[in-house]
Amino acid sequence: MSIFRHEYRAYGGPLTPLWARLSVVVRYALAEAWSSRITTGLFTFAMLPVIVALVGIYLANNPLARMVIMRGSSIFEINAQFFARVLATQCWLALVVAAWVAPRLVCFEIADNALPILLSHPISRFGYVLGKFLALFAFLSMVTWIPCLMLFAYQGYSSPKPWTADNLQIAGGMLLGAILWSSLVSLLGLALSSWVKWRVVATGIIFAAVFVPAGVGGIITAVLRTRWGFLLNVPVMMTQVFQRLLGAPETMREDFRLPDTPIAVMLLLVCGVCVLMLNVRIRAREVVRG
Amino acid sequence: MSVIALNGLAVQLGGRTVLDGLTGELHGKAIGLLGPNGAGKSTLINTLLGFHPASGGTAEVFGLDTQRERARIRQHIGYMPENDSFIGNMTGVRFVRYMAELAGLPAGEALERAHEALFYVGLGEVRYRKISTYSLGMKQLIKLAQALAHGPRLLILDEPTNGLDPSARQRMIQTLQAIRKEGSIHLLISSHLLRDIDQTCDQVLILKAGRIAALCDIEEERRSQRNFIELEAFGPTDEFCNALRVEGCECACFADGRIKLIVPDRIQSRDIYMAASHAGMQIRRMHQRRDSLEDIFMRAMEAQPAGGELVHLQA
Repeated sequence: MSIFRHEYRAYGGPLTPLWARLSVVVRYALAEAWSSRITTGLFTFAMLPVIVALVGIYLANNPLARMVIMRGSSIFEINAQFFARVLATQCWLALVVAAWVAPRLVCFEIADNALPILLSHPISRFGYVLGKFLALFAFLSMVTWIPCLMLFAYQGYSSPKPWTADNLQIAGGMLLGAILWSSLVSLLGLALSSWVKWRVVATGIIFAAVFVPAGVGGIITAVLRTRWGFLLNVPVMMTQVFQRLLGAPETMREDFRLPDTPIAVMLLLVCGVCVLMLNVRIRAREVVRG
Repeated sequence: MSVIALNGLAVQLGGRTVLDGLTGELHGKAIGLLGPNGAGKSTLINTLLGFHPASGGTAEVFGLDTQRERARIRQHIGYMPENDSFIGNMTGVRFVRYMAELAGLPAGEALERAHEALFYVGLGEVRYRKISTYSLGMKQLIKLAQALAHGPRLLILDEPTNGLDPSARQRMIQTLQAIRKEGSIHLLISSHLLRDIDQTCDQVLILKAGRIAALCDIEEERRSQRNFIELEAFGPTDEFCNALRVEGCECACFADGRIKLIVPDRIQSRDIYMAASHAGMQIRRMHQRRDSLEDIFMRAMEAQPAGGELVHLQA
């Protein structure tokens, strides 16, 4: 083909390897996510707590600055509890970001029936979903574990006494906790978005999927006076997970604390359901039974 | 090597047999896929693309198995689906580039080819507009552009002229004819419109109720076409028919003096008038026509294909 001659020309150039097609999906998904100003606004908003934490770490480690700015009054201690709070804050902001970004990655293509064309190219359904997942995960990483680890590194740098080596569990816990949460939210966001054609509705459903079961779980806990209702309460469950991973003291009453195994089973169950939903929905062709 | 080889291909969807033991080899430069609604045309295309698994038999595209070597087959295929299928939020050039990159073109090449493909199909001027703002005809063309951009060896078009106005349809047909003429791409065109297939294809596969009703070479059919003559006559038609049968014509008489003749090339109109004159019969109307794709299709629809067997039409 030629723009000037308007004639078809066969392509005889090089081809990228099959695995590289995944990166094409990731690249276009990230571009789609960043194409909205609201995404930029949300990302900026999600960085505000990190800046506050950064200032906090600076003041905590710099007596002179503390004296000038806070007139010598004491400030919170930089420990596992501090980082658990930062991590929890960032993770909930990541949910807000995911609720906005995930529908953008999937809804347009579902609504316009683009899957037959997309999947007629040399990329599998798994590759397509993995590409979208990686894009969303990468986006959420910028909001969760990357800034958290940067704060950890800054604390290690600015602490007057050796601090990093004694608190490596905090870094590992933040990394693992954020990866857990980002993966869960990415899967949940993509799965729910794939079933809804309207982005705004999809955003609402993502929030509802987290907070409605939490409310139901709270009712079950209150009425039946059992801790197992918290298995439906993702905020409570994840707070416990973060505190245990970072080695921070647990804030939940002891008789309401959930053991590790049921939490892990519940999270795996949610991921399994999400994968099932994606498997049903992400298809080039729907087969009507009967 | 055949473009498409079917070996007892059977496909079941939702517990229903949609394709039932298709066997045949398609070699044509442009292959037409015909059949009534529900015959299995789209299912066959989806099976060739690897969207549906075969419940029996195999299908091969350029010698590659559609189930085991899906990715390699898709590398060589450009697919234009029947229904709307695009990303409305993207500009035309971005969408075509995305599809070309997915097909394996490096980013720079994909961008260049996307521009070229859009100019080639006639969307050059609107390539920076969002696809959601395109008209129906433009949406058909953007599907064609994305199917062409990566330079496929086989272009699969499912109802390419669906929803197009006459001039847009004509442009689409001309584009397909140009692609066929260029020679590097094989075409597989599924359509309800016999005229589209007639104008673009050299081989036709006719499906009926999930089976192959006919597989024929249109060019060969055209070459072996015979003269059909329809007459409306008054008088002793039997005598007239007997006289023509002696001359080697096939003759069928109907009520109200209607006669259908299949005449060898050596018999001219003058000979028919002479025979009518000798028989004392008046010819009130004579209509001469050649065998068309419609006749081939209608004969295939009347024939009863046996499961798994290929019906060769007798012209």
